[in-house]
Amino acid sequence: MRPLRWIGASVRRKTMAVVIATTVIALLVSAAAMLFYEVRTLRETHLAELRTQAEIIGRASGPALAFKDRKAAAQDLLMLRGRPDIELAALYALDGTLFASYARAGQSGIPPRAGAPGYRLEGDSVTLFHAVTDANEDLGTVFLRSSAGLRERMQDYVAILGSVLALSLAVAWLVSVWLQRAVTGPILNVAGAARQVFERRDFSVRAEKRTEDEIGMLADTLNRMLADLEREMTERREAEGAIRAADRRKDEFLATLAHELRNPLAPIRNALYIMQAARDNPAAVAEARAIIERQLAQMVRLVDDLLDVSRITTGKLNLRKEQVDARAVAQSAIEAVEPLARARGHALRVALPPTGVTLDADPTRLAQVFLNLLNNAIKFTDPGGRIDFEVEVAAGELVARVRDSGVGIAAEMREEIFEMFAQVDRSLERSTMGLGVGLSLARRLVELHGGTISVSSAGPGKGAEFVVRIPLAGERQPAARDDRAPFARASAARPHRILLADDNLDFASSFATLLRRMGNEVRVEHDGPAALAAAGEFRPEIAFLDIGLPKLNGFDLARRLRGLSATAGSKLVAVTGWGQPSDRQLASEAGFDDYMVKPVEIERIQAILRAA
Amino acid sequence: MPLCALGQALEHEVKAAYLFRFLSFVEWPQSTFLRPDSPIVIGVLGADDVLAELREIVPGRVVQGRPVAAVRLHEGASLAGVHVLFVGREAGAQLARLAPTRGVLVVSDSERGLDQGAVVNFVRAEGRVRFEVALDAAEQRELRISSRMLAVASSVRPGKL
Ligand SMILES: Nc1ncnc2c1ncn2[C@@H]1O[C@H](COP(=O)(O)OP(=O)(O)OP(=O)(O)O)[C@@H](O)[C@H]1O
Ligand SMILES: [Mg+2]
Repeated sequence: MRPLRWIGASVRRKTMAVVIATTVIALLVSAAAMLFYEVRTLRETHLAELRTQAEIIGRASGPALAFKDRKAAAQDLLMLRGRPDIELAALYALDGTLFASYARAGQSGIPPRAGAPGYRLEGDSVTLFHAVTDANEDLGTVFLRSSAGLRERMQDYVAILGSVLALSLAVAWLVSVWLQRAVTGPILNVAGAARQVFERRDFSVRAEKRTEDEIGMLADTLNRMLADLEREMTERREAEGAIRAADRRKDEFLATLAHELRNPLAPIRNALYIMQAARDNPAAVAEARAIIERQLAQMVRLVDDLLDVSRITTGKLNLRKEQVDARAVAQSAIEAVEPLARARGHALRVALPPTGVTLDADPTRLAQVFLNLLNNAIKFTDPGGRIDFEVEVAAGELVARVRDSGVGIAAEMREEIFEMFAQVDRSLERSTMGLGVGLSLARRLVELHGGTISVSSAGPGKGAEFVVRIPLAGERQPAARDDRAPFARASAARPHRILLADDNLDFASSFATLLRRMGNEVRVEHDGPAALAAAGEFRPEIAFLDIGLPKLNGFDLARRLRGLSATAGSKLVAVTGWGQPSDRQLASEAGFDDYMVKPVEIERIQAILRAA
Repeated sequence: MPLCALGQALEHEVKAAYLFRFLSFVEWPQSTFLRPDSPIVIGVLGADDVLAELREIVPGRVVQGRPVAAVRLHEGASLAGVHVLFVGREAGAQLARLAPTRGVLVVSDSERGLDQGAVVNFVRAEGRVRFEVALDAAEQRELRISSRMLAVASSVRPGKL
């Protein structure tokens, strides 16, 4: 508002100005109206009064005029002494000559001759000539001059107006002070809160709600907005914190990963050196080979875990559920860890349910869960410790407990350790190996089975207990295709015709050698079309196909083979390497019967050959 | 206007004017008028100059809703129908012989006019024409004279009432 710019930006001054301006304007307008009206009525009543006075004098001095009695006339005029406003009075005879006169002290100016009847306003006074008649007879003229008292009245009015104005301004000032408290106070309060929020970036500040009016609503709205903002900010901060923590874990993981990947390399190199140097010492060579095998197994496990991690993060971790025997799954996990437990000098006590407790689960993955827990128990318990593995059925659930007498877990870490890459001891010099993915994998897998995993520990140094609970299958079906289970009993396999398609020459030749040593007839091809051509004449019973084959990829090759009469009923096994598409779903859609990830395990191959 | 030239105005003119003015201040018994518009009659005895002056004044004038007439009366004439009787200075002797007649305002112009039965009598005071009023005589004649007129009379002889 341009005209109000001088008032400035303060609401307080604006309300003050509004109140005072309104008061002054209202007063001035009403005063002007009153003055105008007052002057008019004053003049009119004064004139009417003066006329009446003239009439009275005329009547009274009618006889005096009629009978030329100047003395009586003068006497009549003297009665005007009671009227202080009348300054001059005179009576004129019919011919207009002065007949009698009266003048208040200090006044003069009686007209020497009668004027025409009527009044004249001269400044502050009114003069009036009025005809004197009696019984229709003109007898003469009365002259009156009166001070209308307008000036004094005006002065009185101005004085009254001035004091009223002063009083009103005082009242207006008080009203504006009150208004300020009642209206601008709350506004300033809200504005102050808003400014505080902005200046201090403190979203926990709240505006005090003092009134129930629009300003109160404003305060409420502001507060609600602030509450929303505060919540969003905390959420954002928490989310940022979580992201930072995940990021930090990833960084630590990378360091750990490099460390873990490099660890096995030195023993392998040493073993190779031994094999070369001590070629003639069969014991030394066997020892060296055992070292290489162990270290390789360790690396394979690492890479497998990494693949699982990437599957988890990309949401591609899928289960192949079937009716499995709980005891068998537990048994396979125990078999895998027994050597390690023995090597560490632990006493491994096992309590398993009888065969026949089945559940709907992916046997490989379920075994992986137990394996991870058992591995941890072995790893985080000093040599000569005690490890209990109990599996039982309770309340329709399969309950598996892995208890150890190891280092234990501090309370604040009990939830954290299930996070990806989380490890209690993060120093690279630590004695235990691992990437910190075992537990998070386990939890994810258990959850995929509709179960839960939890940990309890009496504290550092007092051991830990992990409990897995998985709901049992609703209906119990006899375990079908048990022979396909990866941990099926080993037995001698009959020889097969096998087609091997892989563009990795080293892998292909070493794999072929392995298969031939097992007594099979093997044909090797290095690209898709060649493999397809070979299949027609070779009629393989089993085909191991690399997914990433040149010219015709594994999926398409499998589809074409299924179309050939020679291979329509053959067993097709997909073999994928690191970084290749590893979707079991895609593979089975393309017509594959089975699925393997490099490096292939000998047991797995044996199982497949047995099943074919 | 001869009436107003006071001072210079001749005495008979003043008296004629006064006689006319009296009409406004006097109330006659109703029965002295035959009709509502019957004139007020001023009879003049022995003052032709005043009569002449009156005849100048009265035509067309209306007092108390009635026209005014001025007539000359002779000695011994009947006063019937006369409302004001002016007895001039020369006819002053007649005054004593007049019986007080009901409804006739007798105006005299002699020093002892009131004693001789007049209601109003012209006198001279400070060189000017004034008049005196006898209320008892007025009452006798059933006339009522306005107090306003009495206020300018040089003297008033009180009535019995
Ligand atoms: N039985 C246990 N006793 C004490 N601490 C344990 C136990 N199991 C796991 N932890 C702690 O939880 C952390 C996370 O375990 P997790 O299995 O996820 O990773 P890791 O064993 O370190 O590595 P990885 O399993 O990938 O080889 C471990 O590093 C360890 O600090
Ligand atoms: Mg682990």
